[in-house]
Amino acid sequence: MTRLFTVLLTSLGSKVVVALTGLGLAGFVVFHMLGNLQVFEGSESLNTYAAFLRELPILLWSARVGLLLIAVLHVGLTIRLAIHNRRARPVPYAVREYRKASMASRTMALTGGLLLIFIIFHLLHFTAGVVDASFSDRLDPRGHRDVYGKVIHAFQNPWFVVLYLAAQGLLGLHLSHGLSSSLQTLGLEHPLLNRLFRAAGPLVAGIVVLGNAAIILAIALGVLRA
Amino acid sequence: MNFTLKVWRQRGAGERGRFVIYPARDVSPAMSFLEMLDVLNQQLVLKGQEPVAFESDCREGICGSCSLVINGIPHGPDRGVATCQLYMRRFTEGTTITIEPWRAKAFPIIRDLVVDRGALDRVMQAGGYISSNTGGAVDGNTILIGKDRAESAMDAASCISCGACVAACKNASAMLFVAAKVSHLALLPQGEPERATRAKALMKAMDREGFGSCGNQYECEAVCPKSISVHFIAAFNREFLRATVAEPGPLTEIPSDPHAEFR
Amino acid sequence: MIALDSKVPSGPLETKWDRHRFTEKLVSPNNKQHIKIIVVGTGLAGASAASTLGQLGYHVDCFCFHDSPRRAHSIAAQGGINAAKNYQDDGDSVARLFYDTIKGGDFRSREANVYRLAQVSTQIIDQCVALGVPFAREYGGQLANRSFGGVQVSRTFYCRGQTGQQLLLGAYSALCWQIERGQVAMHPRTEMLDLIVIDGHARGIVARDLVSGKIAVHTAQAVVLATGGYSNIFYLSTNATGSNVTATYRAWKQGAAFANPCFTQIHPTAIPPSEEHQAKLTLMSESLRNDGRIWVPKEASDRRSPDQIPEAERDYFLERRYPRFGNLVPRDVASRAVKAICDEGRGVGPVGHGVYLDFSDVIAREGLGLVRERYGNLFDMYQRITGEDAYEVPMRIYPAPHYTMGGLWVDYNLMSTIPGLFVVGEANFADHGANRLGASSLMQGLADGYFILPYTIGHYLATTKNGPISHDHAEARIAADRVTMRTTKLLQGNGRRTAASFHRALGRIMWNACGMARHRAGLKHALQTIPPLRHDFWREIAVPGSGESFNQELEYAGRVADFLEFAELLCHDALHREESCGAHFREEHQTVDGEPVRDDKGFAHVAAWEHVPNGAPILYKEPLTFEFIKPAMRSYQ
Repeated sequence: MTRLFTVLLTSLGSKVVVALTGLGLAGFVVFHMLGNLQVFEGSESLNTYAAFLRELPILLWSARVGLLLIAVLHVGLTIRLAIHNRRARPVPYAVREYRKASMASRTMALTGGLLLIFIIFHLLHFTAGVVDASFSDRLDPRGHRDVYGKVIHAFQNPWFVVLYLAAQGLLGLHLSHGLSSSLQTLGLEHPLLNRLFRAAGPLVAGIVVLGNAAIILAIALGVLRA
Repeated sequence: MNFTLKVWRQRGAGERGRFVIYPARDVSPAMSFLEMLDVLNQQLVLKGQEPVAFESDCREGICGSCSLVINGIPHGPDRGVATCQLYMRRFTEGTTITIEPWRAKAFPIIRDLVVDRGALDRVMQAGGYISSNTGGAVDGNTILIGKDRAESAMDAASCISCGACVAACKNASAMLFVAAKVSHLALLPQGEPERATRAKALMKAMDREGFGSCGNQYECEAVCPKSISVHFIAAFNREFLRATVAEPGPLTEIPSDPHAEFR
Repeated sequence: MIALDSKVPSGPLETKWDRHRFTEKLVSPNNKQHIKIIVVGTGLAGASAASTLGQLGYHVDCFCFHDSPRRAHSIAAQGGINAAKNYQDDGDSVARLFYDTIKGGDFRSREANVYRLAQVSTQIIDQCVALGVPFAREYGGQLANRSFGGVQVSRTFYCRGQTGQQLLLGAYSALCWQIERGQVAMHPRTEMLDLIVIDGHARGIVARDLVSGKIAVHTAQAVVLATGGYSNIFYLSTNATGSNVTATYRAWKQGAAFANPCFTQIHPTAIPPSEEHQAKLTLMSESLRNDGRIWVPKEASDRRSPDQIPEAERDYFLERRYPRFGNLVPRDVASRAVKAICDEGRGVGPVGHGVYLDFSDVIAREGLGLVRERYGNLFDMYQRITGEDAYEVPMRIYPAPHYTMGGLWVDYNLMSTIPGLFVVGEANFADHGANRLGASSLMQGLADGYFILPYTIGHYLATTKNGPISHDHAEARIAADRVTMRTTKLLQGNGRRTAASFHRALGRIMWNACGMARHRAGLKHALQTIPPLRHDFWREIAVPGSGESFNQELEYAGRVADFLEFAELLCHDALHREESCGAHFREEHQTVDGEPVRDDKGFAHVAAWEHVPNGAPILYKEPLTFEFIKPAMRSYQ
C-alpha cells in the first residue's frame, strides 16, 4: 500500500490519476450533454428521463458519490501538481514566446478553476434549486418533477444564458486539451493513430459545446418554449 | 548590422538580477550569435568591466553547453539548432534582442546567463545507465537488434542534455530529457534487465530535483535542438505504468549496492 | 635527467600484451578500497578510465572543467570508431589494423603499443554495445560498418554522424553508475592548474573551483591525465573553444617528458573563416571530396563571383598536380596544396582563405536529387553557417587543425616519466605516430581508458609504497602557491589587450610557421616572435573581476598563457625534426614533385622533451625499431 502511494505521489503517478479521472469526468460530461438533448423531444421525454435517474436512489447516490470522489481526486491532485509546477520556475521570463503550446493547454489551471466554480453554481442552480428564487419546483401532469419547465425558465433569463454560454467556452477549452493530454499521459500514442488521438480532444470538446449551446440558444431564441 | 541587446546580468545565485542594455554595432551578418557576444565581451573587458558570462564549448551544436533564451525562445528563433548554431543574419536590423538564462528552480543561476544544470547529471546518476562492468561483454553481434529499433534508440539517444526542454516548458519539467534517456535504453535489449527500476528511479529523481510535471504542451519538442519527439514522453509514460503494474519489484528488500557485503 | 624506458615486453608481438598482463602485479580487493586515484578529464579516455577504476574498487576523484562530464570534446567526433572485428569478412584482422595504423602514422609509433590497440579494439565494440551505444545496424540486426579514411576494409562502426557523442554517453553513463555507487566523486567545473610531485611521484593536483574561485589541493596515490589535445594553439581549429594544453603543459613543467609536440593533424575540409571574430572552424565530412571538384581562379586576386569565371580560367589544382588521385589525395597532401594556393593569393572568399569545392559537375551528371540524398545534411549545415546555397554556388573549404598526435610521453604502461602520472587518450603521444587514421582517435581513447590503464595502473600501485599525503604537505603548499601567484598575476595586467587578441596573434604565428608546412627560417622566426608576445601578454593582459568568483576571462587568460609558452616547445620540436613525415611537413625535405621525404636513419625516434627552468628544453630520443613491419614510402602521384 505504501508502494502504491509512493507511485501515486510521483508527478507522473499523480498525472495518470488526473488523466483517468479527467477521462471519467469527460465521459460524464458527454453523457450529461446527451441526456440534456432530450429537451428537444419535449417536456414529457425530459421529465421521464429525469425521473428515471432518480428512481433508484442507490444508483443515484453511488453515481453522485463516485463522481464527487473522481472530482475530488482530479481537483486535489491537480492543485498539488500546479503548486509544484509553479514552484519549478520561481523567476518568470521577461519575454516569452510560445511555438507550439496552445492557449487551451497553457490555461488549464485557470479554466479548470473557473469550471469548478461554475459546477458548484450549476449544482446549486439546477440540483439544489437555491439560486433562482423566481422558479419553484412543481410537478408535471404525469406527476414527475418538471425539469423541463425549470430549464426553459432558466434560459429565458439572458443573464443565465450568458453565464452558461461562457461556461461552455471554458469547458470547451479545458476538454480540448485535457482529453488529448490524458491519452498522451496514459501512453496512448501510436504513429498511425496520433492524428486521431490529438484530434480527439478538440473534437469531443466541440461536440459537447455545440450540443449544450444548442439547448441554451434554442431556449433563449424562443425555439423551445414551455 | 546594429542591434540593441537587453541582457540579464546577475552576480550570483542569491543575488538580484536585472537587465542591462548594450548596443551591438557593426555586427557582421556572418557572425554567429555567440561570436557577437564574444565581441561585446571584448569591448567590456577593455573598458575594465566584467564580461557577460555565458556558456559554450564545441560551438557546433553537440556538446549542449550553450543555453540562451533569445527573445523568449530557448536557443532562439531557428528550429532544430542550438544557440551556437544561430547566425546574426537571422535577425532583423535595428531590433532589440532580449537574452535571458534558462529559468528553472532546478537550474540555479551561477552568473549572468550561466546556470547550474547539475540536476540533469543527478537524474542520470539515479539510474540512467546499464550496470555493466568493463570486460566480459559478449560479442556485439550476439544479440541482434533490428535496424528500425536501433534507429529509434538513436533518435532518443541524440539528446544533448542542454536543458532547453526544461527552459521552454511552462512547468519547467524535464520530461523530454528523462523520456529520451529512458526510451534510449528501454529500446535496446541490453537495457531490458533494468528497464523497470530505471523508469521509476529517473521519475523520482526528476521530482526530487524540483522540475515540474509535464503538461503535454509539446513546447519542448518545438525548441529541442535535436528535435526529439514527444512520442518518447508517451513511451516513457507507458514505461512507467508498465514498471508499476507489471514489475512492482521483489517482495524482499534487496541492498541497493550488491557489492556492499564485500566491503 | 630523464630516462626513457618504454618497458615494451620482449617476445612475439601477438602475445606481448597477454604475457605482460600476467606478469603485472595485482592489487588485492582489500587494498583497493584504501587507494585513491585522481582522473582529470572526462572525455572518452577519462570517463572510461574513471568508471572502470571505480568499478574495480578504487576510490576515484574525477575532475572536469565543464558543467557536466558529458560535455568533453570527444562528444563532437562525427565519423566513427575502428575495430578489427572483420564482420564484413573483407580481409580485415588485428594484424591489418595494426599495419594500417603504423603505416598511417608514417612509421613514427611503437609497434607494441599499436598492436595492443588493434587487439583490444574488438573488445571496445562489445563493451560499448553492452553499455547501450546505439550503433548503426543492418536490417538483419547485425552491426553495420563503413569504410573510412581511405583504408581498404570496412571496419568503422558508427552512430549516424554523432559517434563521439554516443560513445561518450556510454562511458558517461558507466561513470554515473560509479558516482551513484560512491566509488567516483565527480568534481565538475573544476580545472586542474598544477601537478603535485612528492619524492619523485605524482601525488596530487591543484585545482581551481571555477564557481567559487577557490584553489584547492587534491591528493591521491596516482594521477591520470585525460585532458585531450592542444589544436587550439592555432586559435582557429575544429576543437571546442575550451580545449587547452594547461594540464599536460603544467605536468611537463613538473618533469614529465613531452613527446612529438610538432605532430599536429590538419583536416582539409572545414568551412573557411569568414571574419576576424570567428571563434572556431566547423568540420565538414571528408566524403564531400568524393564528388566535389576543387578549384581556384587561375589569376591571383580574381574577385569575380565563381559563376562568372569561365572553365578555361579555373585551376583544378589537385587534379592537375595529382592526376592519379585527383581530389582524393590524402588529408595532409590536400591541405598543403590548398594552403599553398591561398598563400599565392589565389584563395577565395571574404578573407581569401578558401578554395571552391564545386558540385555542379556531379549535379549535372547524376542529378540534384542524388546529391541531396547523399550530402543533404552537410549542405544544410553549410547554408546555416555561411548563408550560401551550395547547390547553386560552389562550397568554400579550408584546412583546419583538428587533432594532435603529440602529447606527454608514456611507456607501454601509459605512465609518463613521472612515476604515478598516467596519461591516456589524445593527451598522450602514444599510438598514432606522425599522423592519425580517421576513426582511430575514439578507438584509442576507449582502449586506454577501459582496457589498458586499469591493468597497468594496478602494477604501479601494487609495487609502490605510498603513504597518505596531508593536504598541507610542503610540496602541495608550494604547488598551490604557484597557482595562486599565477592567478593573481593574471589579474594585474594593465588591461590594454584581451586574452583573445593574444590568442589570435599566437594562432597566426603558429599557423604560418608551424601549421601545415614548416621551414627552418619560419620556425626560427616564430621562436623569436613568441617571447616578446608573451612578454606583452603579462604586461598588457586585461582580466576584469577577481579570482575569488566565477571568472571566465580569467580561465581563458590562464589557458592562453600556457599556449604562449607551449608554442615554443612545438616550434623547437618542428625545428629539430629535419624530415617530412606524416602530418609534419618540412619544406626543406621534399622531392621535386613536392612529395615529403622521410629520414628513417636520422629520425626514426620519438622526440621527448624535458623542461628546463629558464632555459631551452632538452631533447631525449626513444629509438623506434621496427621488428615486424618494414618501413615503406608512400606515393600519391
